[in-house]
Amino acid sequence: MSSILELQRVTAGYKSVKGFKSLIKRVEVVLRDISFTVEKGERVAIIGESGSGKTTILRVILGLLKPISGKVLIYGKDLYSLPSDQRLQILRRIGYVPQDPYKSLNPVLKIKYIVGEPLEAAGVEWRYVGERIREVLKIVGLPQSILNDTAEELSGGMRQRVLIARAIIAEPEILVLDEPTSALDVSIQAQIINLLNSIYNTLKVTMITVTHDLGVAQYLADRLIILKSGKIVEEGSVDEVLRDPKSEYTKSLITSYLQITGINSLNNIKIRGQYV
Amino acid sequence: MVLAVRASGISIGYIDEEEEYIVWAVRRVDLAIEEGDAFCLVGESGSGKTTFANAIAGILPPHVVTRGKLYIFDRLAIDESTWNFNGLRGRVVSYIPQNPGTSLSPFLTIEEHFYHVLRDTLRYDREKSRRAAIEALLKVGLDRGVLEDYPHELSGGMQQRVLIAIALASNAKIIVADEPTSAIDANLRASVLQLLGKLNREYRVTLLIVTHDLASTSIVCNRLAVMLAGKIVETGRTISVLRNPQHPYTKMLLDCIPLLGVKKPLKPLPGEPIQVVEDKAICPFRERCPRAIDKCVEEPPLKPVGDEESHYVKCWILTGGESE
Repeated sequence: MSSILELQRVTAGYKSVKGFKSLIKRVEVVLRDISFTVEKGERVAIIGESGSGKTTILRVILGLLKPISGKVLIYGKDLYSLPSDQRLQILRRIGYVPQDPYKSLNPVLKIKYIVGEPLEAAGVEWRYVGERIREVLKIVGLPQSILNDTAEELSGGMRQRVLIARAIIAEPEILVLDEPTSALDVSIQAQIINLLNSIYNTLKVTMITVTHDLGVAQYLADRLIILKSGKIVEEGSVDEVLRDPKSEYTKSLITSYLQITGINSLNNIKIRGQYV
Repeated sequence: MVLAVRASGISIGYIDEEEEYIVWAVRRVDLAIEEGDAFCLVGESGSGKTTFANAIAGILPPHVVTRGKLYIFDRLAIDESTWNFNGLRGRVVSYIPQNPGTSLSPFLTIEEHFYHVLRDTLRYDREKSRRAAIEALLKVGLDRGVLEDYPHELSGGMQQRVLIAIALASNAKIIVADEPTSAIDANLRASVLQLLGKLNREYRVTLLIVTHDLASTSIVCNRLAVMLAGKIVETGRTISVLRNPQHPYTKMLLDCIPLLGVKKPLKPLPGEPIQVVEDKAICPFRERCPRAIDKCVEEPPLKPVGDEESHYVKCWILTGGESE
């Protein structure tokens, strides 16, 4: 088995300071005892509602948050016990698409510097970078004419494509996506889903998506990990989970998913979720 | 049938002060909403749906220019560039804001929220407002105990219910809800929509829901209008529009919605919705339309289509090339 990423009993959280006169320092635990593995070339989605800790998992994977206990193994190496230069080497093999395309792009930088930054940081000469930028823009379907624009001039969908271009420019082996479509309109969401799947097929990456939307996850993943208040409540292939959910929580997620059930028989439309 | 809202040829534009042009968000729209309808405006960002709903709720910002006429229960609210929402705003039409978390003041209890609104709209005193508040809270399924609570003590779904109750308390005949489900978690959406549907059916409140989510509209609304670049491109009964979509844009929107448990490819068309600066009379979907013809450089009229009554579409291909 070639597991590319493994979380072993990870517990993680944030330090918080409360009070005014007498400071109380404590740790808010967000993830409790999380273990899962991701095989090479898999598409995995982590699903949960706000506050379930799904973004925290990404921070742990991206080397941004040291777990309180447990190990994060990437390519079999324990990420947080490596010396920092080796850790960086490993993290360079991960491409990351952040959540909000409106807040994640530097408003004063030209698009070419934003997209080329990961390569530049890895020490690649700028003339090679320029060539590669043109290549990735073609992959994500952006015109070359935007190279000298700033992010302010682009629409939400175009910004998301810029972020994807930036994530894949250094030829990562793992692509990590934080809510890749939640800020976008339906038709743009569909474009981005199709784009990510074509990137998955051509670049042969391992794809880890975090989302609250089961419908999106169904299109971007083969396996689902369902998270509730920092714990994994269910794990399995998309078909398995949707057809035969084991936990009550997953059942409630599926029944409260609003959709047009069969456009030809609209009388079937019912509200099924009643969870307050 | 009494018309709750009637717009005739209404245009709404935002003035760009520096560059001195007008961005037209809504362009010459005709629309009628009958009393008791649950009407939905569907559209992607930039389609003008929120601007239009704000006009009906009477909360347009000052740097806006309007043309055309808007009637609310036969009262002329917008007459070309003059507005008169006195006695309408908050009394006849009330409004549920988009984000429950940021729409309630953290310094006031829920009871104070009710009092501030009811004092200003209906001149209620504290005692009267408290009674109205309890009655409205009951309708939305909340206990009177929340009156003493501050907003942060309530969950997102309860905050949304409080906002709906505030809108109800003034006995408004029309409730405008701007993206009522976009800021709350997926498993609460169904219950909020169910509640809005109940208010519409049981208390005969005319409902106008603005949303980008076609799936949620299909549950509550009996009529819908699809907006694109400030124009209504298709309108009709929800059942007939969703069962038998006519406009290529509506068809594409339906092709883009993920369906759970059904493996069908998503089929978005290339390109993005156009942002309108100049008010040109062309078909707003022309550049993305797979079936565009030469005629599409002119703006098509909104014409009846198919066998279903009151199903209208704005497309040359479907309604024939001959002019009106």
